[in-house]
Amino acid sequence: MTSSASTASAAAVTDREQILDASNPLGIDGIEFIEYATTKPQALGQVLETMGFHPIARHRSREVLLYRQGGMNVIVNAHAAAGPRTVAPRETPVIAAVALRVRDAAAAYRHVIEAGAWAVPTQVEVMELNIPAIHGVGASRIYFVDRYREFSIYDVDFTLIPTVDPRPPALAGMRWFGIVQYIGTDRMEDWIEFYGELFGFRTVPDAERYGILPKGRILKSPDSSFFLQLIEPKPGIVDVEPEETLQRVGLGVPDVLAAVALLRTRGVSFVETGDVHPDARGALTEGRLGGVMFELVHDARPV
Amino acid sequence: MDTAPINFDDFGMDAVSLAGPLAAKLAAIRDAGFAQVMLSATDIAGHPGGVDAAARLVRASGLRVTGFQVLRDFEGLSGRLHDYKIDIAKAMLAMCSAIGSRVLVVTSSTSTHATTDPDVLARDLRKLAMLAVPLGIRIVYEALSWGRAVREFPDAWDIVCRADAPNLGIGIDSLHAFAAKSSLDDLDILASDKIFLVQLADFMWQEATSTEERIDTARHFSVFPGEGVHSRALAELVTRLDAIGYRGDYSFEVFNDDYGQLPPAVVCERARRSAIWLSQDVLQRSMPLPNQIRLRGRGPSS
Repeated sequence: MTSSASTASAAAVTDREQILDASNPLGIDGIEFIEYATTKPQALGQVLETMGFHPIARHRSREVLLYRQGGMNVIVNAHAAAGPRTVAPRETPVIAAVALRVRDAAAAYRHVIEAGAWAVPTQVEVMELNIPAIHGVGASRIYFVDRYREFSIYDVDFTLIPTVDPRPPALAGMRWFGIVQYIGTDRMEDWIEFYGELFGFRTVPDAERYGILPKGRILKSPDSSFFLQLIEPKPGIVDVEPEETLQRVGLGVPDVLAAVALLRTRGVSFVETGDVHPDARGALTEGRLGGVMFELVHDARPV
Repeated sequence: MDTAPINFDDFGMDAVSLAGPLAAKLAAIRDAGFAQVMLSATDIAGHPGGVDAAARLVRASGLRVTGFQVLRDFEGLSGRLHDYKIDIAKAMLAMCSAIGSRVLVVTSSTSTHATTDPDVLARDLRKLAMLAVPLGIRIVYEALSWGRAVREFPDAWDIVCRADAPNLGIGIDSLHAFAAKSSLDDLDILASDKIFLVQLADFMWQEATSTEERIDTARHFSVFPGEGVHSRALAELVTRLDAIGYRGDYSFEVFNDDYGQLPPAVVCERARRSAIWLSQDVLQRSMPLPNQIRLRGRGPSS
């Protein structure tokens, strides 16, 4: 991916002199958490546990659970949010938010608002963190988190579940690889511009493909830590414009077939049709609970 | 009414041309054979029952929404005025989305508080375009002939090019082009895929030179294409747009005090004659073949 030597030296310069990287204006440093909304949090929890996530903590005031494995945090939210363009939890879980690790959350928030993002009015309870958020695709949100090094946002808003290991290792070396977003007809350029202008995402060359579902266009985060894959509807007679949504997450693994074998022993099934079946490049889990699926992607990047 | 099949699906009426409540306007437009309607914020904001009820009416009419208008005096402001206009723009975008419109029309600023610096105007429009992306809305930027910095479509084109956002394009309004005496030769500099909308209207006198005359003409005395004194130029405008590859919508942008006190069906019949003139005589469009698939538009013609 990137030359680790040059990245390291660039980071050293940035740390010492606070020089902002023009190609990464928000100082994005990966994904802090992915949030699902559903009225059936236990059912989704079971699906997450088959994928190797462990319940770690619960929110102090809301029906919200934190799951974790390795460096990946998943929030399961059954708490109905108020206001326009918010996800009302339904039985079928949906990806309701992506939280980005950034250098300075307040500065990142100001930057994107100035560039044309929609602020999400926050509703915090007493003594809870105010995590700035903007509207993303559909009813989803994008959060900015800058407390992920010395202490975390979960330290404040969540209570650890007693006796559980708060840092369970990742199964099969899984880590965030990316997010797949379904977009409307003729919307590719709009979304590429949106993610480029606001966050510094860049398109990768068409020849650069990952996984077994090589449709659409792929954008790389400015810190090169994860990808967005934008997928348009199949061409045809489109009468009703399909919903735009965050469809699934991609999990990077060093050895896809080993991961598939391991996950199968835990009860995970994989899609095996003519075109799509597990191979060394990737695999797709069968949809659960009305459509929750995970894509495994061969990830050769150094850990 | 003559209901012989004539294809004028690319032409739509503006609800603002008609008297009466929204439901009556939509019914009259549909009954005249139109497949699309331009809606104004005033049609929606003032609707009894609110925006949601208005949106239901629009959906039930079966008419496709050409666009939603109009965001005025948006670009070029600073400080508190800029923040205020962003709030207004967001409210307009939300209404636009609620009624199922994929297009928001923005007219060039007339505000003396706005800068004339083209890069600042472009920056603001780019920001508006980004605000519109999650809602799936395209921004149409149109020159008002009494605008402060942008008065003619080549001026608007310059700003749209500087802003360089995929969901920001130019709108062309025949009335403003004629009032400002814009050269139709300048159409050749435009990229047809960045023309997002064409609004057509004419008026009854040759010239509208002063700002007051132009405002008065546009807001009270505009007429349907073929009814005014610039029919030849209007036909040339439409023909040249077609020649450079424009295949988008044509909306009749007619504000006329006389039409505002006539039954909608009478006014719609005038609009229908205008649409037939443009599609048959000017563009020489024929009916689509029975199996010809139209991906855009859901008119009743097939």
